[in-house]
Amino acid sequence: MNSVVCVKQVPDTESVIKIKPDGSGIITDDLKFVMNPYDEYGVEEALKLKEKFGGSATILCMGPSRVVETIRTGLAMGVDKAVQLDDPAFEGGDAFATAKALAEALKGLEYDVIFCGKQAVDDDLSQVGQILAELLGLPHVSLIQKLQVADDKKSAVVDRQVEGGIEVLKVLLPAVLTTQKGLNEPRYASLPGIMKAKKKPLDVKDLAALGLNADSVGCNGSKTMITKYTAPPERAAGKIIEGEGPQETAPKLVQLLREEAKVI
Amino acid sequence: MNVAVYKILGIPNFILLAIAIIVALAFFINRVKHLYFILRIGKEDDRFNDIGARIMFALKRILLQLCVLKDVTAKDLAGLGHAMIFYGFLCFAFSYLFMFGRGFIPGLSFHILGDTFAGYFPLLLDIVALMVITGVVWGLLRRYVVRPSRLESTPEAAIIMGIIASLMVFHFLMEGFEVNIDPHETASMAFIGVAFAGLFNNMGIERTTQEALFIASWWIHCLLVLGFMVLIPYSKHLHLILAPFNLFFKSMEPRGALRPILDMEEAETFGVSNIEEFTWKQLLDLYTCAECGRCEINCPAHLSEKPLSPRHLIHDMKVHLLEKGPHLLGGNNGSESGTDAQAEAAESGYDGPALIGGVVSEDKIWSCVTCGSCMEQCPVCNEHVDKIVDMRRYMVLMESNFPPEIQAVFRNMENNSNPWGIGWATRADWAKDLGIKILSEDSNVDILYWVGCAGSFDERNKKISTALVNIFKKVGVNFGILGAEEKCCGDSARRIGNEYLYQMLATETIEILKGYNVKKIVTQCPHCYNTLKNEYPQFGGDFEVVHSTEFILDLIEKGKLKLSKPIDKTITYHDSCYLGRYNTVYDAPRKILQAIPGVNLVEMERNRAKSICCGAGGGRMWMEEHLGKRINEMRLQDALDINPNLISTACPYCLTMFEDAIKEKDVQETLTGKDIIELTEEAMA
Repeated sequence: MNSVVCVKQVPDTESVIKIKPDGSGIITDDLKFVMNPYDEYGVEEALKLKEKFGGSATILCMGPSRVVETIRTGLAMGVDKAVQLDDPAFEGGDAFATAKALAEALKGLEYDVIFCGKQAVDDDLSQVGQILAELLGLPHVSLIQKLQVADDKKSAVVDRQVEGGIEVLKVLLPAVLTTQKGLNEPRYASLPGIMKAKKKPLDVKDLAALGLNADSVGCNGSKTMITKYTAPPERAAGKIIEGEGPQETAPKLVQLLREEAKVI
Repeated sequence: MNVAVYKILGIPNFILLAIAIIVALAFFINRVKHLYFILRIGKEDDRFNDIGARIMFALKRILLQLCVLKDVTAKDLAGLGHAMIFYGFLCFAFSYLFMFGRGFIPGLSFHILGDTFAGYFPLLLDIVALMVITGVVWGLLRRYVVRPSRLESTPEAAIIMGIIASLMVFHFLMEGFEVNIDPHETASMAFIGVAFAGLFNNMGIERTTQEALFIASWWIHCLLVLGFMVLIPYSKHLHLILAPFNLFFKSMEPRGALRPILDMEEAETFGVSNIEEFTWKQLLDLYTCAECGRCEINCPAHLSEKPLSPRHLIHDMKVHLLEKGPHLLGGNNGSESGTDAQAEAAESGYDGPALIGGVVSEDKIWSCVTCGSCMEQCPVCNEHVDKIVDMRRYMVLMESNFPPEIQAVFRNMENNSNPWGIGWATRADWAKDLGIKILSEDSNVDILYWVGCAGSFDERNKKISTALVNIFKKVGVNFGILGAEEKCCGDSARRIGNEYLYQMLATETIEILKGYNVKKIVTQCPHCYNTLKNEYPQFGGDFEVVHSTEFILDLIEKGKLKLSKPIDKTITYHDSCYLGRYNTVYDAPRKILQAIPGVNLVEMERNRAKSICCGAGGGRMWMEEHLGKRINEMRLQDALDINPNLISTACPYCLTMFEDAIKEKDVQETLTGKDIIELTEEAMA
């Protein structure tokens, strides 16, 4: 049973995000980058499949040299090997352009199942997994919370949460599955795992290695483009209503809710 | 009376005695050898540095009996009983040279040391024997009638006590017969011996019968002593032999410094999951334990009905060691060590319980708050906490096995350098409007104020940071902070067992501090204080580290800070483990309180070295408390018992724990919690 997990490196969710003065993107200096939390569920599930059926788990990650740290995190958890797609041409791609490059890389890999996080917590697009499945001509199920692969490894039964209940689907493998919180509890890498990760194979591929031309990936290959980033309006400070007891403060509150907040 | 040549069944005594001694020694040496070989299975540990200081320490603790007298209280006088038996044992051990000696050397008596000695020593022995009997009766009463929780009423204890009492009784009998049959041998000052002699005469016992009875008493006495000797290495009375060694080999490192894992890149396993992976000194601890239970009655985990008892921890591991040890020795009497020994164990077919999960349950390992009270109270200076941390290290580093809530804490420390996981870039936001120097902008400071994670991120503790800054400003201290460059010191990570994460945080911080050429650091958090002061030197970080209470007291004593605004309150002070027991800062906070006019300082019953942890040490701050009672509420009760208006602390974790307990017990109307820093600020003129 071979799995490939598509992993994205994203800023830590606690990061203070600053937008470039021209609004073209965010300032990435000083940011702490981590593995997209939803991708971690994919890594954990791939490791569970490996433990149960044997085979291998591979990470596929696109990004500059800083993403190696994230890849090593996955390798430390127990993933066997990784492929990094690193080329300036990949930069600035939308979900389609990214999926395109990933799909190309996947053609050179063996897989029975491909995991993607249900969305990346930085741009929240929730598209790469689905586009990837289309490009590869594979079935896909999004937002899975439970996975049971059949003994013959030809199909799997997956649970996905829907409004008011659980939908159970049978899907033929290979397939693309996008992972959601609740699927598992991603493990914490052991120290021997961290040490071994330093020596695990990491295959870096550039545009040429994938055999793609620069027009089909990155900015040039994108169907959508970001024209501007703006920060949310700064929240005004909270107000504490002074006064002796509710008799005095309640009317003031009502007045403010009506006149200032205009909610009643 | 010539004991040596007295014949029994035609064989002279000296031959019979020689045989008895040889047999007893054979048993004794065989057992000691066995124990020694098992001990050698343990890993290396250099405990031979500073031999002079080691000898002095051991002698002081033993000869002055400080080991047990240091914690004698009106409620627990057992230490006095021990001292009585100990000094009695010393006197009798000396007299036994003569008792056995006369079995070989005709006419040997105390007179060879002079008539004065021969006159007074028997008197001393009689007095001492009475003392020992008192001690024994007292010990028996405690074990079988009073039954304090810390003592277990085992048959072993009864046998030993019985032997000791019998030794004393036979001493009197021997003396009594000897006064009658050989008056010049024993001076008449031995008043009890003389009394017995009179009694025997009054009973009309013939002289020849008395001679025979004397020989019989002498023999029984000798055999009891030999029997006792053989029993020692089979029982908890092994401490008679090993306590001096254990005290000698005690760690000379600061108590607050855990042993680092040094070869992290090379090592294949981390921490301890097999008994033989402990160091020989850690195994010696197991042998030496006298099961007195002082650790247990001072252990917050045990007191709050959690599964951990340090006494049982040590004892269970000792039993396990003695069971598994022989398997590890194989046929080779322990000449191999380390991994060879493990392979040997697998081959030798040891199928008993595993150390972690079997001998010591995981719940016990996680119950420990690393408060160090067990080590503080242990008369033989056993080192419990490092054993627990070693097992945690195995669980965390090898198996990623820890309470589930801890994973987020580790991640938070990794990604945002604080256990709360609040964005690292916002670390200095609390100080935004205070006009404080940040070292990256201006490193020309006398003092680095190390704020710590709690002081930087926790709403309540931020107020304390601000108060300390106000004190600095009032006095005109030239200080600065690291701002966003400050990271978690790593205390919790290390004590939870994540040595890798700890070393990462520590080495990064040490680099930063060295980069700014920091010399002196002030911090309000005892955990940071202990780590920076005692543990960073292990990685090349040598800084002068001062706790806020020490710093404030110094300002007061130098007249730079005047506390003149009265605080009319009854205040108690709670000793933080890492400030008190680990670093013996007991007086500074109390002296500050006493310097504030109006303060009525009252002490909880358990204070200073016997203070009970708030429940947050050893990384427990970040774990759920599923088992037993809540430690913070138990400690709060100590305060409620003496009815103060305010409970003062000098540790952010302690304050958090108390404020939670105050809310939980709904006593906020009558009791508040404050840091000494806040009280200082309030009282500042």
